[in-house]
Amino acid sequence: MPASGLLGSLVGTPMNSALTLVFACIILFSVLPAFRWAVLDAVWLDPDPASCRAASGACWNFVYAKLGQLIFGIYPHELRWRPFLACALIVALLAWSVWPASWRRRLAWIWLGSLICVFLLMGGGFGLTPVPSSLWGGLPVTLILTVVAIGLGFPLGILLALGRRSKLPALRMSCVVFIEGVRGLPLLSILFVASIMLPLFLPESLLPDKFVRALVALTLFASAYFAEVVRGGLQAIPKGQYEAAAALALPYWNTQRRVILPQAIRIVIPALANTVIVMIKNTSLVLVVGLFDIISSGKAALADPAWPSPAAETFLFIGGVFFSICFSFSRFADFLEARSKTNH
Amino acid sequence: MFRDARHRGIAIQLGLLIAIFIAAALLVSTAVSNLETRGIPVGIDFLGMPSEIVISESVLAHDPGDSHYRSILVGIANTLFVSTLVIILSTVCGLVIGLARLSENPLASITSKCWVELARNFPPIVILIFLYSIWWKVFPPVDQAWELLPGTYLSMRGLNCPEIALSFSPVGALGVVIGLVVWALHRRLAARIRLAPRFWKLLSIGLLVGGVVLADTHLTLEVPQFTGSNYSGGIELSPELSTILLGLTLYTTGFIAEIIRGGVLSINKGQWEAGRALGLSRGKILRFIVIPQTLRVIVPPLNSQYINVVKNSTLAIAVGYPDFLAVMNTMISKTSHSIEGVLIILGVYLVINLSLSTLANWYNRRVGLTGG
Repeated sequence: MPASGLLGSLVGTPMNSALTLVFACIILFSVLPAFRWAVLDAVWLDPDPASCRAASGACWNFVYAKLGQLIFGIYPHELRWRPFLACALIVALLAWSVWPASWRRRLAWIWLGSLICVFLLMGGGFGLTPVPSSLWGGLPVTLILTVVAIGLGFPLGILLALGRRSKLPALRMSCVVFIEGVRGLPLLSILFVASIMLPLFLPESLLPDKFVRALVALTLFASAYFAEVVRGGLQAIPKGQYEAAAALALPYWNTQRRVILPQAIRIVIPALANTVIVMIKNTSLVLVVGLFDIISSGKAALADPAWPSPAAETFLFIGGVFFSICFSFSRFADFLEARSKTNH
Repeated sequence: MFRDARHRGIAIQLGLLIAIFIAAALLVSTAVSNLETRGIPVGIDFLGMPSEIVISESVLAHDPGDSHYRSILVGIANTLFVSTLVIILSTVCGLVIGLARLSENPLASITSKCWVELARNFPPIVILIFLYSIWWKVFPPVDQAWELLPGTYLSMRGLNCPEIALSFSPVGALGVVIGLVVWALHRRLAARIRLAPRFWKLLSIGLLVGGVVLADTHLTLEVPQFTGSNYSGGIELSPELSTILLGLTLYTTGFIAEIIRGGVLSINKGQWEAGRALGLSRGKILRFIVIPQTLRVIVPPLNSQYINVVKNSTLAIAVGYPDFLAVMNTMISKTSHSIEGVLIILGVYLVINLSLSTLANWYNRRVGLTGG
C-alpha cells in the first residue's frame, strides 16, 4: 500500500524515490549554483565598472547602468521622452483593454488614434523634430511591431479564413495557396525575402523603409496563422446556425459578424492565445534583418569597452522582459477563457 | 445582375483574378526595369560556377572552389542534420518530461511545469544567444580542456569525441541491405511468389554473408590529438553546433512535453479504470495501455511541432552555424542573383515541410486513432 501525502508522493514507491533522487540532483547541481550566481553573489546597483569585473556573481549593475540604452536603443539621447511616452501609451492602453468594461466600439478607434500618436511621437512631425526609423530601437520597436502585426494580422486572418471556406473556387484557391505557402516557410526566410525582394518589386519612390518592410512581413505571417486557428473554430459551428440566420434573412456579412464569428472565436480562444504568444516572440527575429529591437540594443550595449561584457545578465534581462509580456498575456488568455465559459 | 448570388460570385472571382493579374503584371514589369537599371544579372547558369563561399562547418565536405550546386547541397545537409538531431533528442526528452509532469511526485511535476513555462514564454533566439554567450564563460580554454571520457575533450572551442569510421564498398553494403530487407519481408515474399519461406530465409542469409564478404569493411578509430592550438581528428562539435543543438532541444522539449501531456490526458478515463480493474499499477497502466494509445493520438500536433523545428533551425544564423538560410544569404549577397536565390530558398523550405507533412499524414492514416 503506497504511503499517501507529501512524503508518500516523494518517497512512497520506488519510482517516486528514483524521481525524487534524479530531480533533486538536477536542482542541486543547476538551480542552486544559478541562484547563488544570480542573487547571492551578485552586484546590484554600483555604477562603477570595476565592481563588475571583481564580482564572482551576476553583474546586474551593468543592466541598471545601461537601462536607457537597452530600452530605447540608439534614439537621440535628449529626445528620449518621446519613445518613453510612446511605450507608456501602448502599455496603458493594453492594461485598459484587459477590462471587459472597456470593450466597446470606441476602443478600436482609441487604439487607432493612439497608434497614430505613437508613430508621430517616434517619427516626428507636427512640430517635433523628425527622427528616421533607422534610429528607433529597443522596447518601443518590439511593442509597436507586436501590436501592429497582431492588430492588423487578426482581422486579415479572419478574412482569409472566411475566404478559405468560401464556395467560390478562385477565392478559395488563392486563400489556400497563400495560407499554406506562408505557414510552410520559416519566418526568417519571409523576412529575408521581404527585405531583398521589395526593393526590386517596388519603384524607388514607393519603397518602404526597413521598419515597414518587417512590419508587412510580420503582419502577413500572423494573418496566415490566425487564419488557420479561426478556420478551426468556423469548422466547429453547426450548420443549424447558418440555417437559422438564413431563416432570419440575414445577408452573408451580417451572418458572419453577428452569429458565426462570435461563437467561432470564443471556441478557439486558447489556440488564439498560443498564436499571439508565438507572434510576440517572433518579433525578436527582426534583429537578423537589421532592425534594432531590444535584443540588438542589448548586443550594442555589450560592446561598450568600459564594461567586461556581462552577456548572460543582459540576455537574461531581455528574456525576462519577453517572459513578463508573454506570461501576462497567457494569464489574460486564461481569464478570457474562464469568462467565455461562464457566459454560456 | 448583381442580385443573383451566382452572378455575384462569378463577378467577384473575375474581379479577384483580374486584380491579382494586374498586380502581378505591375510587380513583374517594375522588377524587370529595376533589374535592368541596376545591372543585376538574371539566369541560373551561375549555379555551375565556383561559389567562393566559405562554410565553416558541415556534414558534407565543402571547399570554396565548389560549385553553387554543391554549396546549396551542403547547406541543405546542415539544416537537415540539425533538424533531425533536434527532433530525435527533443522527442525523447519531451516524453520523459511530459510523463514527469503527470507524476504524483511534486519535485518532478513542478520541475517539468517550470521547464514548459520557460520554453513557452522565452523567445528561442534569446535562448540561443544566451547559451552562446555563456559558452565562453563556462568552459575552460583549450589547453585545460576537461576530459569527460578517455578521448573526449570539452573546452571552449568545442567538444571533440573519438570517431569510429566504417569504410565499406557500396556493392557489399547493397548486398547487406537487400539481405536484411528480404529477411524482414520473407513471409510476404513467400505469399506473393509461392516459394517456401525457408527459401527466402536462406536467400537472405546468403545475401548477408556475401555482402559482408564483398564489403571488405575496415573499422578505424580516430582519437582527438592536441596539436598545440586545438584538438584535431575525431568528431568535433563546435560551440555553434552545440549551442543550436542544445538550445533548440531544450526549447522544443517543452512543447513536446505539453503535447504528450495533452495526449495522455485525452485518453478516456475508462482505460485507466479498466487497467486498475485488472490489478495493474499506475506505471504498468501507463506503459502498456495509455502510452501506446497516446503515441497514436498525438501524431498531428507532433507533426506541426517537427515542422516548427525545421523552421527554428533557421535561427542558426544568429549563432553563426552555416545552415541553409545562412549559406543562401551569403550566396545572394555575393552573386546578387536575388530573385533566383529567393526562389531557391522558398522552394527548398516548402519541399522539406511538405514532405514532412505528407510523411506525417501517411503515418497518421496508418496508425492514427482519430476518434472514439
